[in-house]
Amino acid sequence: MSVSQAQPVVTAMPPHKVLTQSRERRREARFGLGMIALSVILVAVFTAGPILASFVLSFFSWDVISSPKFVGINNYKRVVSDSSVLHSLAVTLGLGIAIVVLQIVFGLILAVLVNQRRGNTSRVFFRTAFYLPLLASSAAVSIFMGYLFDAKFGVINYYLGLIGISNVPWLTTPIGAMVTVVLVAVWQQTGFTFVLFVAALMSVPTDVLEAAQIDGAGPFRTLLRIKIPLISPTILFAAVVAMINSMQLFDQPYIMTAGGPGNATTTMPIVMYRAGFQNLQFGFGSAIAILLLAVILAITGLQFLAARKLVFYQ
Amino acid sequence: MNQFGSAVSRRSLLQAGGAGLGLAGLGTLAGCSKGSDSGSSSGTFKMLYFGDQKSADALKAKLAPEVTKLDSKVTLEISAVNGTDWNDFFAKVLTQIASGTAPDIVGVATEGVQLMASKDLAIPLDDYVKKDMASMKPYFDDVHPSLVEAMMYQGHLYELPSDFNCGNMFYSTKLFHQAGVAEPGPNWTIDDFHNAVEKIAKIPGVNGFDWVVRLWGSWTSFMYANGGNLLTESKFSGGDWLWGTAYAGNAAAAGRGGGYQWGAPTANSPAVVESLQYLIDLKKAGIAPSPDVGGGGTLQGLFASQRIGAAIGGGFWAGGLHNAGMAPDSFNVQFFPKWKSQRHLFGTGGYAIFKSSKKKDLAWEVLKVLAKPESFDIIAPGNVTTSAHKSLATAERYASTGPKNWKVFYDTLTEHPDTGPIPAPPYYNALATALNTRTTQAISTGDAKGALDGLQSDLEAASKAT
Repeated sequence: MSVSQAQPVVTAMPPHKVLTQSRERRREARFGLGMIALSVILVAVFTAGPILASFVLSFFSWDVISSPKFVGINNYKRVVSDSSVLHSLAVTLGLGIAIVVLQIVFGLILAVLVNQRRGNTSRVFFRTAFYLPLLASSAAVSIFMGYLFDAKFGVINYYLGLIGISNVPWLTTPIGAMVTVVLVAVWQQTGFTFVLFVAALMSVPTDVLEAAQIDGAGPFRTLLRIKIPLISPTILFAAVVAMINSMQLFDQPYIMTAGGPGNATTTMPIVMYRAGFQNLQFGFGSAIAILLLAVILAITGLQFLAARKLVFYQ
Repeated sequence: MNQFGSAVSRRSLLQAGGAGLGLAGLGTLAGCSKGSDSGSSSGTFKMLYFGDQKSADALKAKLAPEVTKLDSKVTLEISAVNGTDWNDFFAKVLTQIASGTAPDIVGVATEGVQLMASKDLAIPLDDYVKKDMASMKPYFDDVHPSLVEAMMYQGHLYELPSDFNCGNMFYSTKLFHQAGVAEPGPNWTIDDFHNAVEKIAKIPGVNGFDWVVRLWGSWTSFMYANGGNLLTESKFSGGDWLWGTAYAGNAAAAGRGGGYQWGAPTANSPAVVESLQYLIDLKKAGIAPSPDVGGGGTLQGLFASQRIGAAIGGGFWAGGLHNAGMAPDSFNVQFFPKWKSQRHLFGTGGYAIFKSSKKKDLAWEVLKVLAKPESFDIIAPGNVTTSAHKSLATAERYASTGPKNWKVFYDTLTEHPDTGPIPAPPYYNALATALNTRTTQAISTGDAKGALDGLQSDLEAASKAT
């Protein structure tokens, strides 16, 4: 008699035990649903609902005060032909890419340096110090950064003046404003990528590192050939999240430069805010929001496509 | 004709939105302006205030007894709305309205009068004024008609002006003396101004002139003196019901209409381009720095630190500079210098009654209280603005704060009768955004004409959309 002909044990379970198991499963299901209910409700109310509402609104002309008028795809026609929206898309992409690249590079450098430190206390100190800016309100950060970078009375220009560099127009020239916005965003956001990279580097198997060392690889070669490929899934995750955040850049340019000078730092969220809340064109503003959502989805998709070739999964 | 047919109801839109709870929240707004019971009493009387909550609470503490006298069943509530400038304030007010928390009255300056009136958010005060004309006569006798006219739209009066500010020229007496420049007289010219700020700019660490990017008291003051404007200026017909009674026999009221009618944009006309280019050239010459965007708090701080020779300011600068620690004799004020004319611009403030208010009669009584001369120091203590009441322009008022030449604040209206309000059409928010964007563009590129061509297009689009 072959083994495969053996009867399954489950079928032999007595009826009262089947009933108990079924009750147990229902209880677990209820518990599971209860655990995720709050998240589902919050996502539905504060994320899915507004997205759906924005999508519906994008087909209407509505100034919030009078009754909305259905205008079909007119808002979308306007979005794709409005030079200020298209310019803001270019600005958002440019600033976003710069912020993400710098965030990844600085996050990685800092993580490598901190991981090389032997003392646990100093590691904890640096981890906390680099992560702290992320906890601060970006509006508050933007206000005090605006003062620091002010060309007339800013502390940064004061110290630069002491070494012979005078009156750097940080916020009053297009290039200066873009650089400042990127620097401030990178300063505040790098803590996020830094913490991810610290954790990822710590999980790199020591036997692989030891093998590389025995084979004569130096620290830089080990970083490039061993550590970075092994943490590439984390780099992909960090890049995707950072890009999504950067595409929604609002506080820093709105507070520090008011989107200027001219519209040099006017991002899509600023154009969207102005359209909706200042000019009371909520339909048009919603169409910009939907376009921004589509752009973010497309970029994220591209990042995942590129990851197929660049990311190494163990 | 709209090719997509007629408007749909809010209910249909909400149904279409399905789970769009955010939309549902916004949807409540449209109901705000529908229907009201003007005689309703008891409950809370809500007022919106442009400023911080601390000041709003201080105002509430002083104003609440007055409101209680009018209606003992009502509790006064004052909510502060912060913002860098009026467009920020209006964006937040409109958001509050959208959330279904429309107040009974709101403090609104010239910037928002036509916006509120054209959107049917505020009610005209005509009937109330006519009804109480006898008791209101002392008010109108004491308030210059140009301020009242600036609160009119399409022949109707929407606010009683409580305060105003003309764009005069403040200067540092210390820096003028240090540079060997004589203090300006009332008839000084743009050349006198230029010579003065050029000499002052030679003092190390000092700018001859500084300014802020905004609609009131910015390069727009130069534009008015140069005979230009951003929009074609005319007057609405109407208003005789007021001029013929409240201002009967007053020569200053002759020729007044039903409010300013802002027409086609003229933002790239030669006079306007020349004005902005003049400011850009001041920067290129090292006389003025790049200006900040916003309300001017930083500018007052720099002026108080004796780092600026001259800057455009109104009566509100008296309190601001005093609070910043400036001694009354270390600064002074003069009329704006004469260019093609000596026309000044001004902005005026008051309170409007929301159409959605269920306490309109009480709101009118509160407005009358707020418009009384004795209420001015309750609303705006410490010379943080200029009273609309001529009787309050006294030496005693400015004795502790300065400036010595305080008379120019009110005299601007009487000595320069062509002085007019800032161009604030119903699409003020779009105008303010475009003006700020194009001004900073002009400063960074050095090309006023190119930026103002852009502003012209922006304003044409905004006016068309409205």
